[in-house]
Amino acid sequence: MSRTQRVDRTAVRTRLDRVTDPELDRSITELEYIDEIEIEGESVAVSFTLPTAWCSPAFAWMMMTDARDAILEIPEITDVAVDLRDHMHAAEINEGVNERLSFDAVFDDADGDIEAVREELDEKARAARQYRAVSALLDGGATPEQIVGLVRKDLTIDSEGRTTVRLDETLSICIESEPIERYLEKATATGVANGTDAGLFVTPEGETISPSEFETVHRRGRLAATNMSGQGHVCANLAEARIGSASASD
Amino acid sequence: MYTHEGEDVFVIDGHIHWWNASKENIKHEGGEQFIRCFYDYHTGFTPEERQWSLEEYRQYDADRLRNDMFGDGHADMGIFQPTYLNEFYKEGFNTIDRCAELKDENPCRFIVNGRFDPREGEAGLKELERQREEFDVQGVKVYTAEWNGDSKGWRLDSDESFEYLEKCAELGIKNIHTHKGPTIRPLNRDAFDVKDVDDAATSFPELNFIVEHVGMPRLDDFCWIAAQEPNVYGGLAVAAPLAKSRPKKFGEIMGELLFWLGEDRILFGSDYALWEPEWLIEAVMEAELTPDQREEFGVELDLDVKKKIMGENAARLYNIDIERQKEILRDDGVSEEFGLAAQYGEGATADD
Repeated sequence: MSRTQRVDRTAVRTRLDRVTDPELDRSITELEYIDEIEIEGESVAVSFTLPTAWCSPAFAWMMMTDARDAILEIPEITDVAVDLRDHMHAAEINEGVNERLSFDAVFDDADGDIEAVREELDEKARAARQYRAVSALLDGGATPEQIVGLVRKDLTIDSEGRTTVRLDETLSICIESEPIERYLEKATATGVANGTDAGLFVTPEGETISPSEFETVHRRGRLAATNMSGQGHVCANLAEARIGSASASD
Repeated sequence: MYTHEGEDVFVIDGHIHWWNASKENIKHEGGEQFIRCFYDYHTGFTPEERQWSLEEYRQYDADRLRNDMFGDGHADMGIFQPTYLNEFYKEGFNTIDRCAELKDENPCRFIVNGRFDPREGEAGLKELERQREEFDVQGVKVYTAEWNGDSKGWRLDSDESFEYLEKCAELGIKNIHTHKGPTIRPLNRDAFDVKDVDDAATSFPELNFIVEHVGMPRLDDFCWIAAQEPNVYGGLAVAAPLAKSRPKKFGEIMGELLFWLGEDRILFGSDYALWEPEWLIEAVMEAELTPDQREEFGVELDLDVKKKIMGENAARLYNIDIERQKEILRDDGVSEEFGLAAQYGEGATADD
C-alpha cells in the first residue's frame, strides 16, 4: 500500500447514505440496496441489488453514477467500480457507468432524456420535502401568510440542530433543523431558494405561492409524499418476494 | 355477494382478465418477461398460503375463473379488460374474443370491454366498430406502453388517439380504461405516464376516463389531474393489495383518493388473476382509516363509501341497476353452480 492512511468502510457508507433512490427519495443504504463494499488502497468496489431484476434502467443508472461520484468525493479515493447484480440490464449498466459512457449511448432506444427524468423526480422530492418543512413551521406557530413570504435569509441554521426562522420584523421561531435542511438540499438541487432574497417555498410548478393557494399547495406536497412512500411499499413487497423466491427453481 | 356486518355489498370487480401466457402462446421473449413480472407482483402481494405456482398462473381455465370470482371470490360481476400484446403472444395475451366466450356462457356475470391501439389506423377503427357491433362494448381498455413494430408506446393525447376517442364517442363507447401504473417488464416506464389523460379528458367531456392503478407510481400526478377533470376516475387495481400487507399505507392512499376525487369516482378492481378477489375484497372491506388519517384528510371510509367503491360506482358507469341485477343473477347458471340464489333474496319467481 503506497498510502499510509487507509479509507475505512464508514467513510464510504457515509457518502452512500446521501445517494437516494430517485423515485422514492430515500437513501440507498437505508433501502438496503448495497450488498458489499470492498476497499483496496485507493480503489473502491461497490455491489448493489435492486428490488427487482426489472427496475427502471434509468433509475439504476442514476443511482450507480451518483454512488460512484459520491465516493469519489473522498480525496484518498481515485477509482470506483460499481457492480449491479441480478438485473436484466446489469451488463450494460455496469459497463456504461464504469466506462463513463452516456446513458443514451448505452440504451439507444431509451425513452426520454435521463436528466429530464431526474429533474422531474427531484421536483417531486422537493415538493414532498417542502410538505415536511412547512408542517414543521406550522407546528412551530408560523401562519400560512408568514410561510409564503419567507426568503432564504430568514433562516439561520445553528450547529445544535436548531433553526431560527424570522417570520417578520419582530417575531422569530425556533424549530428543529432536520426537515429544513433536508428541504434546502433538494431546493438547491432544483434551483429553488438559491440566493438570500429568493422565496423559500414554491408551488409544484415552481411558482410563488399566494396566501389563498397555500392550503392546496401544502396538500399537493402531502400527496407527493404519499406517492413516494406508497411506491416504496410496492418496491419493498417486490423485494421481499424476490428474496423469498431466490432459491426456487424456474 | 359480500356481507359486511350483516349488510349486503354488491361487488362489481372492475378489472379482470382471462389470459393465456402458456409457453405455446409466447412468440417473443417479452411475453415470458411479462408474465414473470406479473408473477412477481402476484407473489409480492399475495399471502403465502394463497399463492399460485407459475404454471398455474400462465393459464387457468374457465371453471377456475368462475370459482375464483363468484364461488369463493365474493364478486357478483366482473369487467374484462383485454390486453392484447400481439408482439409478445401469438394469439394475444387476453383478447376480447376469448373473454367473450366466457360472457356467452354467463351473460349476466360479465361485462366485456373492447380495446384500441391508434397505431392500427383505419383497420383499427373498423375493428372498434366490430367490437361495438358484435359484443356491444360500453368501454375499452387501452395500454399505452404496448409495443407495435418499432414503436414502444403511444399517447392518449395524440391526434391519432383523438381520432379513436371520437370514434368511441360516436359509437357510444363511454368508458375509457387506461393502464397508468406500474412498470411491467419489458415495457417502458415512461409510456405509462398519466399526464396524457389530462388533455384527453378535457377534450372529451362526454367520455369517462378510468385510470387503472390510480397512476401509481404517479399517484400525485393522477390525483391532481382528477381533481380538475370531473370525468376522470380511479381504478384500485394494484393499490388494493396494500390493504392486506400495508393497511396503514392503504388508508393513506384512500385518504388521498377520497380527498382529491371523492367517493363517487373510485372503482374496485382485483386485476384477477394477478390476485384473487376473495382475500382482496375481504382486506379492502376490513380496511379502516386511522383517527389521524380521518382528521388529516377530512374523509370517511365507512360502509356507504365502500359500497360505492365495490360496486355502485361501476354500476353507474355501466348502466346497471343493482336491485334489478340481483333478480337476474338469482336464477343464472353461476348461482346454480355455486348455490348463490339465496343471497340474492327470494323475491317473486320470474314468470318468463
